[in-house]
Amino acid sequence: MHIHAYEKLWLAASILLILLLIGSVTYGAVGPGVAMVSDSEPPIDAQALDEDDRFSEPRVEQVGDNEYVAYVVAYQFGFEPSPIVVPENSTVTFYVTSRDVIHGFEVAGTNANTMVVPGEVSKITVKTDDRQEYGLICNEYCGAGHHVMEGKVNVVSQAEFDERNSGGDDA
Amino acid sequence: MGQNQAAHASSDDVSGEEEFDPIGTLTLIAIYFVILLLAWVYIYYIEFLGRDLVVVG
Ligand SMILES: [Cu+2]
Repeated sequence: MHIHAYEKLWLAASILLILLLIGSVTYGAVGPGVAMVSDSEPPIDAQALDEDDRFSEPRVEQVGDNEYVAYVVAYQFGFEPSPIVVPENSTVTFYVTSRDVIHGFEVAGTNANTMVVPGEVSKITVKTDDRQEYGLICNEYCGAGHHVMEGKVNVVSQAEFDERNSGGDDA
Repeated sequence: MGQNQAAHASSDDVSGEEEFDPIGTLTLIAIYFVILLLAWVYIYYIEFLGRDLVVVG
């Protein structure tokens, strides 16, 4: 079979492109450690969040050396705690659930973005950088007040974080 | 890009079957390919990996 020289060129370029795409995704997973939103969390009762030890009191907790967890409840129309305060240059795992309808959890301008489904817990782990205030928005239409549904994720210095948490509950 | 297929038809008898040389199309596809590569590098490496709060788990 005769293959035109241009066809061969194009085939080679296509294969190169495929290798490049696979290579990039592999690099992302191995280098910066990019991962998917986990679906491993067991379902919970959305009607009984006030009896759940994680979500009855939405909060940020230290769980390890420079590791924190944030338990967040989304509702019509807001997020709790508000603001969500986490320290800079740390690893933060967000556990987000809803007590009414489907919401979104998007830290504006960042890669932290997940759906929030009642009865399910969305878990995402992120690395924070320097201190900064991020907007937090709901990106799933959830009712009449959807457009005003917002929160804040404040990345603060370690000292400020410690001060806040020793001074009482900020939630 | 100025050449077309008609101009090529008679001048290309050396390589028998390859008298059809759509160099314009090849150039166009090459340009698309370069745009695709640059767009991918920009979207993945700069926009996606460069943003804050990269999801690691
Ligand atoms: Cu909402």
